[in-house]
Amino acid sequence: MRSALTGALRDARRPIRWLALGVLAVLVLLVALPLVGLVRATLGPAGNGAWTDVLASPMSQNLFWIPLRNSLLVGLGTGLLSTVLGAFLAWVVVLSDVPGRKVIGVLSTIPFALPSFAIALAWESVFRNDRVGGAPGLLASLGVPVPDVLSWGAVPVTLTLVAHYFSLSFVVIAAALANVGGDILAAAELTGASRARVAVRIALPAVAPAALSGFLLAFAEGVSNFAVPALLGLPVRFQTLSTRLYGAISTGDTARGYVLSILLVVIAAAVLYLGTRATAGRSFATITGKSTRPRTMTTGPWRWPLAAVAATLVLVTAIVPSIVLAMSTFLRRTNRLDGGLTLHYWTGTSDPGIAQGVRGILRDPTVLNALGGTIALGLAVAAGATLLGLLGAHVLTRLPRARVTAGAISLLSYVPFLIPGVAFGAAFIAQFGAPIGPFPSLYGTFAILVVAGIAASVPFAFQTSKASLAQVSGDLEEAAVLTGASGWRRMVRIVLPLTSRGVVGGGVLVFVTMVRDLSLVVLLVTPATPLLSVMTFRYASEGFTQHANAITLVIAVISVTATLLARRLQGARQSGTTS
Amino acid sequence: MPRRHRTVPLLALALPLTLGLTACSGAASAPADDTDWDALSHDELVELAEAEGTVSVYAFTSRIATIEESFEAAYPGIDVVATDISSTELITRLASEHRAGSTTADVAYVSDAPVVVTELLADDVLLPYVPARVADQLAPEFTAPLVANRLSTKVLMYNEEAHPDGAPVANLWELTEPAWSGKVVLVDPNVRGDYLDLMTEMSLRSQEMADAYEDHFGTPIELDEGVEDAGLQFAVDLYANDAVLVDDTDTVNAAVGATGQADPPVGFTSYSDRRDNSDEGWALQVAAGVTPSPGIVFPAMLGVTAGAENPAAARLLIDFMMGDDSETGGDGFAPFYVAGDYPTRDDVVAPAEAVSLDELGGWSIDPEASAERRSAVADFLLTIQ
Repeated sequence: MRSALTGALRDARRPIRWLALGVLAVLVLLVALPLVGLVRATLGPAGNGAWTDVLASPMSQNLFWIPLRNSLLVGLGTGLLSTVLGAFLAWVVVLSDVPGRKVIGVLSTIPFALPSFAIALAWESVFRNDRVGGAPGLLASLGVPVPDVLSWGAVPVTLTLVAHYFSLSFVVIAAALANVGGDILAAAELTGASRARVAVRIALPAVAPAALSGFLLAFAEGVSNFAVPALLGLPVRFQTLSTRLYGAISTGDTARGYVLSILLVVIAAAVLYLGTRATAGRSFATITGKSTRPRTMTTGPWRWPLAAVAATLVLVTAIVPSIVLAMSTFLRRTNRLDGGLTLHYWTGTSDPGIAQGVRGILRDPTVLNALGGTIALGLAVAAGATLLGLLGAHVLTRLPRARVTAGAISLLSYVPFLIPGVAFGAAFIAQFGAPIGPFPSLYGTFAILVVAGIAASVPFAFQTSKASLAQVSGDLEEAAVLTGASGWRRMVRIVLPLTSRGVVGGGVLVFVTMVRDLSLVVLLVTPATPLLSVMTFRYASEGFTQHANAITLVIAVISVTATLLARRLQGARQSGTTS
Repeated sequence: MPRRHRTVPLLALALPLTLGLTACSGAASAPADDTDWDALSHDELVELAEAEGTVSVYAFTSRIATIEESFEAAYPGIDVVATDISSTELITRLASEHRAGSTTADVAYVSDAPVVVTELLADDVLLPYVPARVADQLAPEFTAPLVANRLSTKVLMYNEEAHPDGAPVANLWELTEPAWSGKVVLVDPNVRGDYLDLMTEMSLRSQEMADAYEDHFGTPIELDEGVEDAGLQFAVDLYANDAVLVDDTDTVNAAVGATGQADPPVGFTSYSDRRDNSDEGWALQVAAGVTPSPGIVFPAMLGVTAGAENPAAARLLIDFMMGDDSETGGDGFAPFYVAGDYPTRDDVVAPAEAVSLDELGGWSIDPEASAERRSAVADFLLTIQ
């Protein structure tokens, strides 16, 4: 019996090896090759001594070491705080009986759909002091002295990023928590364990892989975000690797920029390694094929205080920035009330006296065209990246012993985060811009956007899939193997339904990032393939702030709608398949 | 002018050679490369361009949309495909496309002259074309390395509401004194090329900076250890005086220009942004005549891409954007005929409401000299933050 089982399992695992090789091949093509291109551009005469400049020159201190320290500070701060806040909100929404938790759940997903600069602007509009000049923030104009440390630098940069990325951790952890079997919690309570003990000893470990994924995502985003440190850090010369990297590329020192991003990848690999080691060798399977109905915990007298804390959090991070962003599109003068209000930037016809005759965005056919292109791109990339991420994560959970393959897949699925989008875009033009054998050049086509988008979004899809898959017990699949179910059938009938929450959540994250992303596509977009994010950027760089913000708001509405739709979908799936 | 005649044939020689060596498609593009563009009459150029029927341009300004309209009105048979993209992105994109052999633009309208010289011209990504028609109206520095149709600026600006009697600063070195501590705003030169060019020019003009120092303080300048020249010493002192670095020009404009400020800062920004004063509620004004100079004046340049699919239409578009013989430069120059932008053609009269280039006293940058010095300046600035 035992040998029959192992034999059957061995047979079942054979296709997995082929799948592993396939996933690896795709990742090599999409991620490793561009990375190799980056490394090559930093070596030899082309590199122009960039490595020495960055690591061992009089500039190293300001070019690398201090920005590195700042980046790690911001990255770790963002990762840890986001995970704590995300986990707290996920617990409130999924497992507690706190009033209003449904609304809190919806609002918790919004900050990620907003552009990080909108949240940074909201911060500025409250905390800005007179360091830069111009119009002061709310507090300063009320006569409250605001110290630089609250207005500029590490504190506002980190807190703004947390306000943006806790929603990432929330989505990942909430999906995992929803899968924690109610029976496990009930059993624990029967043993007389206190609620706190159940939470700490059972629920927390069960969501550990999700929390880790959430941390890794928020960490990487915190390290790679450019807009926020540029806006809130620069005035006090708080530089991060991303502002340095952007500066190097902008001022023509591309090789140095590439060196900085390669170093970022190395640092990320170290963080990834430490993270996986922390959870290595432990099983987090909580979906066992038995009853998995989630169960709410009663919080007694804490209901209202908890509700108040959670509500304040989402109010400050989702509602306030949304209002600031929306209001700014109605202001006749950029960020000033003294010019009066107008609908011009939405529906106005061309008026030479305003914004050099650029008409309202809803009247602009290229905006509508870009809207279609953006949604199509988001959907295509979400589908592609989710499939790749899911297959990669599947291979990883089912082949834990193939350390080299697993390590390579993990790393390649994570690093795209840390390669600056502009460099990634340039690498893709180099790779797919010329015809390869029978395949025509992809440059200027929708396809190259999709391919690059998938490569850049794999981290989201992979981390979320991995978090969900880690919860599915291997027993279920093994049982299915015994019934003779094929690998594909097991995937579709068992793995997918059980992980659908996490996978759909991941797909939405991919969709949202793709709809907003600028740096990756800015080089790849041609007039034939307009996208909303590129139009925002163009308007913003021309100083047409209201137009830029109006399009940003459209992007945010698309993202939020997608998130809400996905929640409904997840809700339906959840009750239909696992109860 | 002599310079142009030297470089063009050289490039014409080099291009088919490299194509022949690196790809087998050399033969296909050979006929285009053989054309002696300078020898064509205007009508012949139009005829070739109309046969191509389309031209694609990458430009660093949204004003290219107006050019698209006016060019298509002038040459109804030719479709303009205009892409507005920042100079940095434009340069990266052109270089990547060139490497991949899939050039999509025919013309580049670009401002980062020193980077263009080092990254695009050095690698033959862009080729110069000076329309014979306008060559005599252009000073030599506006025909090489690429032809320039106007000059833009990064100069010291102040708030004229707070300072109705004129600029509060007469000498750049005042900015290093306690009165201006924390009150000078500029985009971090290590983040943006045009501001790096400003600092580079100060280093290149170190003698003038040293003289201005002596003018102001009455003693000759003494350089700190490790500081090479008076221009860099200015950067050291300015940074030490708590200069505020920000991430983009609009932030500088709003910081300096916003009305209703009791004690507004001064800052380095584009003179032409003054055109948005009434639109945005600013009171930006240029500190013209500051000693030794309020800042830099630099060219907006036009070049043909090496692999241009529409080489004739590309040249016709450049010809068009150089303006006509009227005092304002006509339709091809209309979007750039604004105060704070300076036409390069000596027969076009500068817009009336702006101070003249002479009154402004800005330094005209030399792209090649800048290109040579600028990375050393960038490196130096990195060490003093």
